[in-house]
Parts: sequence; structure tokens; C-alpha cells
Amino acid sequence: MLDPFATLGLEPAFDLDLAEAERRHRDLSRALHPDRHSQSTPADRRAALGKAIEVNEAWRTLKDPIRRGEALLRRLGVEVEEGREPKPDPAFLMHVMEQREALAQAGRERNEARLEALVGEMRAEQARAIAALSLELGRAAANGGASVHAAALLSRLGELRYCQRFLDEATMLRDELF
Amino acid sequence: MVLLDIFDPKAPPKPIGIDLGTTNSIVAHVRDERPVALTTCDGSALLPSVVYYGDHGSVIVGASAKAYASLHPERTLASVKRFMGRGADDPETQRLAAHRLAPPSTPDEARVVRFDVGSRVVTPVEVSAEILKSLKQSAQDQLGALGGAVITVPAYFDDAQRQATRDAGRLAGLEVLRLLNEPTAAALAYGLDKKQDGLFAVYDLGGGTFDVTLLRLEDGVFQVKSTGGDSALGGDDMDRRIAEEMLAAMGASEAAARTPELVALVLDAARRAKHGLTEALEVAVELPKRGGGTVVYDLRRPHFDELIEPLLERTGRACRRAMRDAEVEPAALDGVILVGGSTRVPRVRSFVEETFGREPLADIDPDLVVAYGAAVQAQLLAESSDEVLLLDVLPLSLGVETMGGGVDKVLPRNTTIPAGARSTFTTYADNQTGFEIHVVQGERELAKDCRSLARFTLAGIPPLPAGMARLEITFHVDENNLLKVEASELTTGLRQAIDVRPSYGLTDEQVETMLLDALDHGEEDFEARRLADAKVEGSRMLLATRKALAADADLLDPAERARVEQALGALERAIDGAERVASVQLGIDGLDAATHEWSGRRMDRAIQSAIAGKSVEAIGESVAHARGVEAHLIEHGALPQKET
Repeated sequence: MLDPFATLGLEPAFDLDLAEAERRHRDLSRALHPDRHSQSTPADRRAALGKAIEVNEAWRTLKDPIRRGEALLRRLGVEVEEGREPKPDPAFLMHVMEQREALAQAGRERNEARLEALVGEMRAEQARAIAALSLELGRAAANGGASVHAAALLSRLGELRYCQRFLDEATMLRDELF
Repeated sequence: MVLLDIFDPKAPPKPIGIDLGTTNSIVAHVRDERPVALTTCDGSALLPSVVYYGDHGSVIVGASAKAYASLHPERTLASVKRFMGRGADDPETQRLAAHRLAPPSTPDEARVVRFDVGSRVVTPVEVSAEILKSLKQSAQDQLGALGGAVITVPAYFDDAQRQATRDAGRLAGLEVLRLLNEPTAAALAYGLDKKQDGLFAVYDLGGGTFDVTLLRLEDGVFQVKSTGGDSALGGDDMDRRIAEEMLAAMGASEAAARTPELVALVLDAARRAKHGLTEALEVAVELPKRGGGTVVYDLRRPHFDELIEPLLERTGRACRRAMRDAEVEPAALDGVILVGGSTRVPRVRSFVEETFGREPLADIDPDLVVAYGAAVQAQLLAESSDEVLLLDVLPLSLGVETMGGGVDKVLPRNTTIPAGARSTFTTYADNQTGFEIHVVQGERELAKDCRSLARFTLAGIPPLPAGMARLEITFHVDENNLLKVEASELTTGLRQAIDVRPSYGLTDEQVETMLLDALDHGEEDFEARRLADAKVEGSRMLLATRKALAADADLLDPAERARVEQALGALERAIDGAERVASVQLGIDGLDAATHEWSGRRMDRAIQSAIAGKSVEAIGESVAHARGVEAHLIEHGALPQKET
């Protein structure tokens, strides 16, 4: 997989300026989108299409904190694969499990307010995990990736995945019910 | 006196935009920088999307065809858009309608809906092609030589529905430049008209489809944030609700009493009653009663509003979802745009206002706005304009069926297109040599609840223990939202051409056969057309290559440059002399090979300059800022003022 930071020509950082990244995506789209190459040679069209896809994929990666974190970990030489990460803290897992049960119940009761409240709580949880990951990744980058505490970073990423899965489930429920 | 339009034979071919609608279709083009709708064979801009099949292969399209509906309901096909890309068993085929379906006799036939029109059996693709042909003819009569066409589709159309639309365009002999989403087209028409940046919602309720799209317009870029909808919900459903009540009032509640003639009559009366309620608060319709006599069916607006409320609620749900997907609150919107004839219904307008909390815009005719946008896009494509760019999204998630019947989402809905993704799979049995992939589209958790797009098998995997062989599937969604799938086995590098069998729709061969059948002299004409097409393509390539040479010849070393020049000469000679498609194709392939690597370098250069352009600007900004700081310090006496 290509480095999304390089594709968009941005300094690798977790706390990246998303507005700037979006602008960059737009500028590159202007140069590469197939519509801009409707009169070009077939070879140019192919090359532009391939690059346009890379640019779109890079922006999709960078705007998602989990995928952005993965990209940074890969840059630091850490292997990332979903499902192979160390399990997060048992207390955290317990908490997520309880929240998921509450979510399922809110779904059964068609209780939109309750569902939104649970989503709000999980968003706060997610924000905490993102802040922690940002701090740890910043520290790892500062020492040049010399002593990366891979296990801690990966388990933080795992936490974020649990948060995301919960939020995805909430989205599906909401789409179905409201 | 007869006025003859004299066309300048040297005039460039004119690109057109087509709104292929459920109820009406429109063709438009850009004249003096403004989109205008062209007059159709009916003498007005709106061509009813109705096709009548007479004896001896005669075909009538538009208002005259509509006039046949009550006489020959089975030979008169309306609202076929609802059947595009659907299979014979689709629930959509079971709804109240006056046509007759031909039962499929083979699994191949079951992949499309087939109408029995008496003299023959036709598919929705062929019916749509007749509508497109009529529009094309009208456009040709008024504009002369046509460039390509942009055809609009509901944003929520899935891959099969889009493929079917593209096939209809090919069958009509149109060069389809692009399939454009209807709400995006409408936004393009509005955005260029108002020249206002901001966040907009487009509520598009047509005859048979509903779409909602949220998009941001900034610096000439239309970025779609989210899209949602229902490709089987529209004004037709309102008509059906009224028609059911009318049939009950007539004493024709049971299915046996509902002859195609009666259904056609009642659907037409229902539609007229609905139109009447746009202005009036009450309409009365006299209907024949079963067993003789007549009955007056009285419809008041509050009751009609009640009848359609469940339909509106479905659109409301899609709107809320689209806003959540875009992470937008109604208050953040800068405008709501109404599109589609069904948005003329007063209750629809008030519902939209309640949903988005603001009065919607409808100052461009909601029936024409989509065609206008399509015409604008066609013009932009023909000019390769850099003023405006549309960044659209994938409407429905794409995935692959997993072992337990679940779905592994490869590309989620609302991903910006063109998009690509890779997914790796592994064998689950020892010595497994084949791998079946089932591609689905939709949001549901189980593959069986999603739309099946294609199945294919990768064979010839070397026998290995379970989990050892690794299979990589690549998905590509192009700017038309059309999907391509490739697969390869990673341990051996086996990359094979796979036979992707679409679950619905016509195969390429079937479309070719239909194209052949449509031409009077069959094979001969077909070859002549292919040769002409190849020559056009070759000439375009010559032009584009020369333009590229003028810009980036420095990216070629002398030997490469010589190869490009040689290939250019060869293609030029082939176009001038050839009488066979194959020799032109040879020239095209030769030039393509000679320019392939160079194109990669050209794109890298384009990327560098796109990035550098902004960096220069950013530096400019920070310099300006620095000056500001300096001035600030000077002002406060911290720095000595420069002597001037």
C-alpha cells in the first residue's frame, strides 16, 4: 500500500490539518480527474485514472483516524493487521460490551434519544483514544521511531476499532429505525 | 416557403445532455453559454417516456405513443426506467401496471425483465434505446452533427441499472461520454446559475425514483458529500395509491376485474387527478362502474396528502440518513434544491421545508433542470474545461460475500469516485484449486439481502494447504460509477482474465447482436460504422498526442521521441488509407504502446505542479503574514522604521 501522506504531498503527522489535506485532495483531483482527461490519449487517461484513484484513496485514509494511525505505524515500521492486535484493557472491553448491550436494547425499544446518548458517550470515548494515540504517535515520531512501543500503539488502535464498530452498528440501527 | 437549416460541415460536433426520465425525457445543449432544452418530436421540450410497438416492427415514441395506451395497453410501454437492470423475479415487476411480461424460459432470460408487446418481446434496454433514438434524431435535426452525450441516472442507481442505461445509449448509437447523477446535474445547473459557494441539499422526486444528495460547491468544485434514496419510489406510487381507491370505488377490487385496459385508464385518471390537486383543493373524476353506469370519485387535498404521507416519510428517512452520513445539521445548509416533476405536489414542498427547516429553491423548472445540468457537463467534457469539476460518490457500498453469508465491505457508500480497493482472501480447504467470488452491493449485513452484481470463479490455483494460497481482488469504480473487478493469486502471481458474469442485465454479446439487428444491412453497415468510429478515435488520439508533445516533449529521451513520431506517422497513414478496422486498430495500439510510459511521467509532473502551485501560494501567504507582523512591531515601536 502506498503512503497516503506522500501521495498527497503532506508532512506525515497524526494531527494533520484536515482542511489543508482536503484542499490538496481537491487540487490534485483538478489535475487528475477523468473528466479533465476526456480529450487525452488513452495512455494519459489510464495514467490519470490510476493516480486519481490513489489520490482519492489517500484522502479517504487520512480523514479516518484509524486508517491514518495505521499509515503512520507502517511508516514507523510496525506491521498492522486488523484482528492481530493485542487485546485492549479488560476494563475497556467490559465497558464496550455493556454499551453494546445498551445499544441493542435502545434499538429494540426504538428509543432514539437513548441511542443518540450512547453514540455521544462513545464519541467521547473515541476522542479520548484518538488524543492518546496522537500523543503516543507524536512521541514515537519525535525520537525518530528509534524506540517504538509497538504493542501500546497497536492496542490503542484496537480500542479505536472497538469504538468504530460500535458507531457503525449505531449507524445501521439508525438507518433501519429512524 | 420552406426554411432549410444549413449546417456548416466544418462546425465541431455538438455535445448533448439527456435526462432519460421515468415519465418524461429531455434533450438539451449549451447555446451561447446557457443550457437550452431542444424541441422533441412532440413539439415540446418534454418527450413522454412512452413507446408503442405496432405491427411490422413500427415503433412510435412520445405523446402519440401515449395516446395508444388506452387502446393497446399491452403494446404501449411506460415507466420502463423502473425495470432497468432488474431481473424477471424482481418485486418491482409485481406492481400495478398495464403491460404484459414474457415469462423467462431460460436462466439467461431471467436476468432481464422482458415485455410481451404482441408482435415481439422487448427488454427495458431496448425500450429506453427507442426513447434515446428519438431524442437523438430531434437533436440532430436542430444541431447537425452531434458530439457525445451525457445521460443522467438517479444517484441511487446500482451498478446493474447503470450498465443497462449505458447499453441503451450504445444501442441508440450515442457516444455516451458520461453517466451523470441526476441531483449532481441539477446542482451543476443551479451552481453555475447562482455562482454561489456553499452546502446544498438536492431533493429529487421523479416519476419512479427518489434521490437526495448533499454537496458542497467551492472554487468550482462540486464535491458530493453523501447521497441516498430509493430507486423504486416516485410519482408513479402516488398514482397507484389513488388508482387503488378508484378501482375500489368502481367495484374492481379483485385482480380478475383488472384488465390491462382498465388499469391503463385508471392510472391515467389518477395521474390527472394528482396534477389537478397542484392548483385545486378538490377534484372529482367520473369513472365507469362495474356492471354499468358511472361513479364519481372525489379526491380532496387533505386526503391525498394522507395517501402519500408514507411515501414522503420514506424520503424523509433517506434525507436524515444522508445528513448523518455527511455529518451535517439542517442549519448548516445554504440551500435546498427541488428537482423532479413530483416536487410540484404542494405537500411534497411543505414536507421538504419541514425536513430541512428552510424554504426550497425551485426557480429553475424542476422538469428541465437535470437535462440542463447534463448539457453543461457534456459541454465541459467536450472542452476538457478546468473551470468546473464534479467529484461524485459511490451511492451504495460494494462488498464480497464471506464464508458465513456475510458481507466484507470493500468500498463503503459515499466513497469519492473514481475509487479502487484491494481485498485479500485465502483458501479454506486443503488443495482448493478454485475460488468463487460473489460481488454484492448494498448496506445490509447479509449478502442475500444485498443486490447481487456478479459471480466469478478464479480457477487454476496451485494445490496448497488451507489458508496458504492468497487471493487478491481489485475493485475499480470509474467516474461513471461502473465497476470492474480483477483477481490474482499472490503466491504464484497467477493473474487471469476472469469471466465476470453480471447477475442482471444483458451481456456485451447480446447488445452487439441487438446493434447488428438494428441496422438494415447488418454486417456490412456494422463494419462501416466500426471503421468510421475507429478512424474518429484514431484522429482524436493523433491530436491529443501532438498536444502532449507540445507540452511535455522534454520528458522523452531522443529514442522514445523517435518511437512516438514513428507511431504517429503510422497511425496517420492507417487512418488515411485503411479500409479495415484492424489496420487502424494496429496504429492505435502502436501509438498507445509508444506513449504508455511517457504518460506516467506526464501525470507525475501534473501532480508535482498541482502540489507546488499550492505551496507557492502558501509561501506567499506566510510572507504576507510575516510582513504583517513586521508592520505590527514597527507600529508599536519595537522595530526601527526603515529609511526610505
